[in-house]
Amino acid sequence: MTRPVVAAVLAAVLLTAAPPDRLTAQDSQFSVRGLGVPGRWESVRARTAAGAFGPFDPRSSVADVSLADALQLTATAVEATTYRRAEIGGTQDDLRSSRFPFMGLAGPVTRRVVVGGGFATYLDRTYSIVTRDSQMLRGAYASYTDRIGNDGAVADLRFAAAARLASWIAIGAGAHILSGSSRQTAQRVYDDTTFLGTTQTAVVRYDGFGISGSVALDPIPSVRIVGYGRSDNRLRTRLGDTETDRADLPTTLGAALRWSPSPSARVAGTAVWRSWSDAGGFNTTSWSAGAEVGAGPTPLRFGVRGGQLPFGPGTAAPTELGVTLGAGKGFSGNRALVDFGLERLVRKGGGLTETAWTVLVGLTIRP
Amino acid sequence: MKRVALAALAAVTACTEDVTAPGHCPDFCPSGSISGVDTVLQTVVQRDSAFRGFVRPHEANTLLAATLPGVIDSRAIFRTLPIGDSLVVESSTGAMGAIVGVDSLKLALTITRRDTSAHNLTLVYYRLPLGIDSTTTFGGLGSWTDSLRSLNADSVYALAGHVDALRDSVFVDSTTHQMTVIAKLDSAMAPFVPADSGQVAFGVRVVADSRASIALGSVESGLGPRITWFAEVDSLGKDTVPRSASTGDRFDSFVFDLLSPSVDTTLDSTLAVGGMPVARSIMRFALPRAIRDSVQISRATLILVTARPPEGVPADSFTLAAHGVVADFGAKSPLSADVSRVATTRVHIGVARGDTVRIEMTDILRSWQIDTLAPTALALRQLPEGSEFPEIRFEPSTNTGLGPALHVTYVRRFPFGKP
Repeated sequence: MTRPVVAAVLAAVLLTAAPPDRLTAQDSQFSVRGLGVPGRWESVRARTAAGAFGPFDPRSSVADVSLADALQLTATAVEATTYRRAEIGGTQDDLRSSRFPFMGLAGPVTRRVVVGGGFATYLDRTYSIVTRDSQMLRGAYASYTDRIGNDGAVADLRFAAAARLASWIAIGAGAHILSGSSRQTAQRVYDDTTFLGTTQTAVVRYDGFGISGSVALDPIPSVRIVGYGRSDNRLRTRLGDTETDRADLPTTLGAALRWSPSPSARVAGTAVWRSWSDAGGFNTTSWSAGAEVGAGPTPLRFGVRGGQLPFGPGTAAPTELGVTLGAGKGFSGNRALVDFGLERLVRKGGGLTETAWTVLVGLTIRP
Repeated sequence: MKRVALAALAAVTACTEDVTAPGHCPDFCPSGSISGVDTVLQTVVQRDSAFRGFVRPHEANTLLAATLPGVIDSRAIFRTLPIGDSLVVESSTGAMGAIVGVDSLKLALTITRRDTSAHNLTLVYYRLPLGIDSTTTFGGLGSWTDSLRSLNADSVYALAGHVDALRDSVFVDSTTHQMTVIAKLDSAMAPFVPADSGQVAFGVRVVADSRASIALGSVESGLGPRITWFAEVDSLGKDTVPRSASTGDRFDSFVFDLLSPSVDTTLDSTLAVGGMPVARSIMRFALPRAIRDSVQISRATLILVTARPPEGVPADSFTLAAHGVVADFGAKSPLSADVSRVATTRVHIGVARGDTVRIEMTDILRSWQIDTLAPTALALRQLPEGSEFPEIRFEPSTNTGLGPALHVTYVRRFPFGKP
């Protein structure tokens, strides 16, 4: 194998072997119930166009076939800081968090075949809930504060390959190891200090497996159509050596269209359906549309996305609507790329309205 | 400008986190919840027994003197160390001279505990035979009618300078509130007997306007009786010179006469604590496995029902301790040195039969959860032992419904790992 290939494989192994703990994409109060909130498998470049370019972006892991465009070794990472406001029942709470939700590496092994890997958030499971109540203890009501927290995520470790079969067609496939853990905490503190507070903690581990496949067609040079699918088997939850839960995971089907009317302008749109009812939630359909203007080192990106969240109270799936804006800057002859952007999200469901500003920073290296 | 932009970017993307929000249940709360349980374990103590003789009077830290009509009559006794038959008359040469007589003797006693509501607290001094020892009994010392003298400590303390005309004096330590009573005994009251090398033995009785009960410091506590001889010493055949010699006591104890059948020291099935000789009770707990292994304890209270209340004056109120043991060897169970395995409460004189005495023992139960090899047994004891006469007895575990119970408040194991 050539030296870049060896470097690519080695880097892929190192990147995927030990994902950081703070992997979650974006915390949400909708992650309190069910399995959590699905993460975004997008680089900052794709995410600042609302994810519309995700299936076409070799730095993202939405569709494996996009790796076929990674003609040189490429490594990318994302940092996201979210300022969130949750409003329910006339009360509002301002929350914030910083995460590293995505990291990827890709590089060609032959002229036609590209391999890649990395990790992304599959399900976000981070929250901390505080409740107040009282209980009759020893003849009197004792008030207490409960804090139940969950800090962690399920990560999607991807190993994928793509091949360009002809100038108008490429295919890709990938294997996904779902792995993760969360530190769960249950704490009770009584107002009456004669009752000692209690704190229980446990580290819960998750595992699962999935496969994915995708195809990209270029019917004309300015248009690309991508179809992709993914099937994940189940998410097993373990506490120590004991399996505490097992949930089927959804099948994902998606399609995307990109039109490049000129070298400096691209627009794209995607639609994705996921069978989250397999996991006890709502089936979801998400869409996005975005554009990227500017072919040089400082493109401008924007987009809008909408869809549903799989878990929430009531009989209808919570909804999500977001707009994004971003840009990028190349350095050292585009060997280093810094992408940055802003995302505004509104999520609604079960009486809860959650709004969030997310500052996105991405770094891409092409050695 | 670039630096400002970079600084702003770093500021907004800095790693900060606040994900805590009020829960709106049940829609936006986890499916599992923290479950608190409050229950009384009536049969958790399954074996118990009482033992006596842990501290005997001559081993106690205090010498108990009490005149409680109808209850108890107790008197302190002690024997001093010898001073020899001669004293130094010439300090530069160390020349010794024989003691040819004494002028007087000062006897200092420290009252470590007293009932300040008992007025005219008076100490009555008796001369006792030198043969007193740990086997000496109240009755064995005769009728106690030939007192040497008495000293009204309250009256002397009320005088200017706390000294009376006889040169008796009384001092009260403002920090410890201990009272030191120094009584002067003349040579007729305390003659120097050369054959005894100056050893003397005394008995002390206490009386007051109301019921009197005091504790005197003993040699074990370092506050034992002290005497100072004021002697006449032969100055090498030329004359006699006054010299003094101080010494402590060699043996001290107290003897008592139980006047009330309610303070009978005979052990029965009840759980006796305190008294004299000191009694302890051992209780063995059979905790449910769920409580020992799987829950977090917020509060645990040992509930004891009084079978026989303690008798005495309010100052005789004492500390009751539930003390974890290192190993369960019955009466000889060694007590744990770990302070987290000691729980205490105050038992006040006035507790009636049927009243409950509660001891908070949350730390002890938590320590049993941590150290699963530790014996789940407790020794009920008085603190400090041998410093009070009152004895309390509790209903045993064999008395269904009234036996020791454990009121425990705990939180069940949280259902981690559930979505």
